[in-house]
Amino acid sequence: MTEALVQIEDLRKVYYGRPVLDGVSFEIRPGEVFGYIGPNGAGKTTTLKILAGLLAKYGGAVRVGGHDVAKERRQAHALIGFMPQGCGFQSWRTVESALDSLGELSGVPDDVRRKRIPELLERFDLLAARRKKVKELSGGMTQKLGLIQALLHEPKLLVLDEPLEGLDPPSRNLLKDILRERQRAGTTVLFSSHILSDVEDVADRVGILTGGKLAVSGSMSQLVSALGLPRELGVTFSQPPADTGFLAELGEAVARKPGEWRVRITDSADADALIHTAVERTLAGGGKLRQIGLVQPNLDDLFARYVMGAHAR
Amino acid sequence: MPGRSPTLLLLRDELVGFARSKVMLVLWILMPLVAIAGYLLLPSMLNVRGASSSMLSATMFMSLIMSSLAGTIASIMVAVDIVTERNRKVYELFAIRPIRREAIIWSKFLAVLACVAIACVASIAFGIALDAIRGRAPDAAALHDAAKSLAALVGVLAMSTAGGVLIGVLARSILVAVILVLYVGQNLTVLPLLPSYFGVLPQLFWVIILLSFALSVAVVYGAGVVFRRAEL
Repeated sequence: MTEALVQIEDLRKVYYGRPVLDGVSFEIRPGEVFGYIGPNGAGKTTTLKILAGLLAKYGGAVRVGGHDVAKERRQAHALIGFMPQGCGFQSWRTVESALDSLGELSGVPDDVRRKRIPELLERFDLLAARRKKVKELSGGMTQKLGLIQALLHEPKLLVLDEPLEGLDPPSRNLLKDILRERQRAGTTVLFSSHILSDVEDVADRVGILTGGKLAVSGSMSQLVSALGLPRELGVTFSQPPADTGFLAELGEAVARKPGEWRVRITDSADADALIHTAVERTLAGGGKLRQIGLVQPNLDDLFARYVMGAHAR
Repeated sequence: MPGRSPTLLLLRDELVGFARSKVMLVLWILMPLVAIAGYLLLPSMLNVRGASSSMLSATMFMSLIMSSLAGTIASIMVAVDIVTERNRKVYELFAIRPIRREAIIWSKFLAVLACVAIACVASIAFGIALDAIRGRAPDAAALHDAAKSLAALVGVLAMSTAGGVLIGVLARSILVAVILVLYVGQNLTVLPLLPSYFGVLPQLFWVIILLSFALSVAVVYGAGVVFRRAEL
């Protein structure tokens, strides 16, 4: 089995007497995209900053490519491309000079930078802005610039804190495409985001952080299975039948919106038979169905269950 | 790892930054011109008490102005710059690079010291030029005194800039940094004089200058240690 590129063991961090991270442990294998999610204040940014070597006082061990980020900082940093939340650049810098300096500090040779910087700017639709001062860029453009500087030295591990924040939908799709390209090229990605649909689109595995603890981590199917979510039928009427009471006979029925129902069924129930019954009863009642089928839980559902469940405890 | 020294790379960038933000223009040209204008417009205030030729030379005037202002300017410049950039999260992108964090601090120190030191040289040169134009070109002894005062000034500048660097690393807001520079930082320039004052070292000009530079290096080194351990 391939050794993990990122190993986080029993990570603990206290700010002003309050534990922000309390024994977080997980691993990321090479080439994996790991989505790191959690409510505000859960400790996501703290975890990423410790991994990036920006926070020094913590308990536990963090290793990247076998190098301890505290003791072998420069070796670990050579492997990491980090995009902090809200990237800051010196106000007098142009886009090109910022990337050129940061690339040079990362050890990217002059001739490689001369080629790679325009390529990346073009990929991110920023080529026209290369001579603009960074302070003249919009928030979304600065966000893209933040990601470009993380990609410059083609790191083995990309650590991205809210990379999709402040981007319009086309830019978000572009960034997701680029992350997928990087993954296909073998780059490992660890990113945090509040936009759960985007995390679900891109991530191979997800870790849910709540209250400084990693509630669960795994692929979507593993998370669903670990949570033991009940099966649900989703029923959407384009024209509801005269009486929708038959839905309650199928299982625990809840109306989410006018014409849209979720019916919780038991694990042993024959879903196909129930669907067949729902179709028959709808047509008999003079109704029309738009959509019916088993509903797969999405990351929003899982997140709500884990976080609300943690709050309830 | 970068091929060239990170400190030199960052120093180059700092100097380019000063040039682009017009700081050099202000320091090297505007300030000396304003000082010269003051010298020319207020001659009655510059009479040397008890002297037969009544007016202070432009060279001496510029030396006095620079020795009063340069240290404070350098100290505030570097302290405010560090606090501003840290609060804007600029250093996160540098600290994540495979370089020593102290390189950031050393480049700031050297860039500000170089800029303000050149401003002092430019100002005194303006003074010498004005004296020459007015037929009062300084003689060899006066030039020797000017050179010594410039060396002393650079020593003071190094101490002030080092103090500003340390305050910039420690302070969390611009206001606190400025207050600390004005009330604490400026007193650091006295430190090189203390060993001579207490008789520990001979009261020789070059001893004091060397001590100034040695203490400056020590203070910047200490600031680098603090910055290396700081949470960004």
